[in-house]
Amino acid sequence: MSSRPSRVLLAVLVAFGTVGVARLQRTAPSTDATARAVAAAEAFLATLDPGQRLKANLELNEKTRTVWSNLPTGTTMQVGATERNGLKLGDMKPEQEKAALALVAATLSRDGFQKAMAIVDADQVLETRSAPSRAPTARIRFGRGEYYVGVLGKPSTTTPWMIQFGGHHLAINVTLAGRQNVLTPTHTGTQPASYSVDGRTIRPLGDENDKAFALVNALTAEQQKEAILGVEVKNLVLGPGTDGKTIAPEGIRASVFTPAQRAMLVDLVREWVDILGDEAAAAKMKEVQANLAETYFAWAGPTTNGKGAYFRIQGPTVLIEYAPQGQGDNSTDHIHTIYRDPTNDYAAKAAAR
Amino acid sequence: MRKIFLAGMVFAVTMPAEPAAHRLDEYLQAARLSLAHDRITLELDLTPGVNIASAIVPLLDRDGDHTISPAEAGAYGQEVLKDLVVELDGHLVPLTLTRVEAPSIEAMRDGSGTIQLRAAGNVEGVSAGRRRLDFRNNHQPEMSVYLANALIPEDADLHVAGQTRDPRQQGVRIEYDVRPRWRARLLWLLVAAAAVSTLMVRRARPLLAP
Repeated sequence: MSSRPSRVLLAVLVAFGTVGVARLQRTAPSTDATARAVAAAEAFLATLDPGQRLKANLELNEKTRTVWSNLPTGTTMQVGATERNGLKLGDMKPEQEKAALALVAATLSRDGFQKAMAIVDADQVLETRSAPSRAPTARIRFGRGEYYVGVLGKPSTTTPWMIQFGGHHLAINVTLAGRQNVLTPTHTGTQPASYSVDGRTIRPLGDENDKAFALVNALTAEQQKEAILGVEVKNLVLGPGTDGKTIAPEGIRASVFTPAQRAMLVDLVREWVDILGDEAAAAKMKEVQANLAETYFAWAGPTTNGKGAYFRIQGPTVLIEYAPQGQGDNSTDHIHTIYRDPTNDYAAKAAAR
Repeated sequence: MRKIFLAGMVFAVTMPAEPAAHRLDEYLQAARLSLAHDRITLELDLTPGVNIASAIVPLLDRDGDHTISPAEAGAYGQEVLKDLVVELDGHLVPLTLTRVEAPSIEAMRDGSGTIQLRAAGNVEGVSAGRRRLDFRNNHQPEMSVYLANALIPEDADLHVAGQTRDPRQQGVRIEYDVRPRWRARLLWLLVAAAAVSTLMVRRARPLLAP
């Protein structure tokens, strides 16, 4: 027999519990993705000798997880480290490299893996161009061999661990926390922004660029007045080294967008969210769409595709920035982007539970 | 794409050689401003480009010994501070340097070294209503590019209403609303009252039970 206050309390607890379970179901993908990643990580680590394993498999803690950057090998990262976590592809035997990339592929979607490798290939182009004029004593290195694969923590289907794949213009940070796979924070970038292979033009971040220009040009003149900041934005505001910070949102709120404009915005956000495996990406997109009315789109620069322009998408659980670096006459050839979740970088929600 | 990756990196590169990968001739100065009831906190990250590092390094390495001591970093921080102006509702807010971290000279020369400057100003007694914070960075304007942004205040009683900047972002005006603190206090009072009531009901239950 229960008293009235107890029944009220019980009702409140049931209500909160229902919301909590619903929220968990909404954000949690199947454990299949985590299990696949665990198997791939164990397979990769098994190919390494003890010394390599020490380098490739580090402890996961608040310091190690922040060691990533947009910068190339030979520089000092924003967090002060001079070398990335993990083992670089250039120091691996072919079978080890195959297992390392299989781990990355097991974690990302097909499109996400292709995007990451296109960024790696762009850096190989940069290496090919820069090597002849580089001083023999120069420490900075570009190219495919300078990309690192690291496993932070013990691969597990229940407790948090992390996969990092990074080098110049790439920092894929996937935290796997039981049923949650979280891609934030992740950095993508490219230089050159366009190159050709076997006669085919490759633009690693071309869709991000084109979809954003299409969206800004789909806005009415009044909407553009709100969206366009009227300033120069020469780099990312919340790039590497700025974990845990949230800037005040600016631009136009998607709540005033037409359904077609909202669809374009969602499609643009997918370019980052869909880097992760399909199940986790689908869960994240549901969350993004649920918060769309509270999401802002800001633009800085010209609205003619082909010219360099910065944009930012910021909602309660997402922050995306795209920043051309304005190098030389071609301001579109060197791009930095960042993808964050101010509430859940490094799967903070799972850690809080 | 895999096919592309395995294609032996035989790239038919279509663009002219461009070895540079970093900001070259610009001094990137990124400011983030944090608002609170009693203080303004400034984070300023200064990153010299490869081609201008030689102009910035001597400003830090004053004795020319090829290292930047904490005292040298602090002295440069004070020089930068002289070039910054913060005003709240038109009144100057003096800034005090709280931290400066300088990278290695090597890192600055390769364009990856960032000087991290942190400063704070006391603004005790900010009253409720719309407030106006003006920030201007006059440090090395001839070679610099700027970013200036307000962070979301940690205090829920403060809300950033808008930011307006000059085109270079050398200056930013941040308008923000300060809610009366009595509202927050009243809320806490209500929560405390609810908690006390709950405890009293729970303690009273055994007495009411048959």
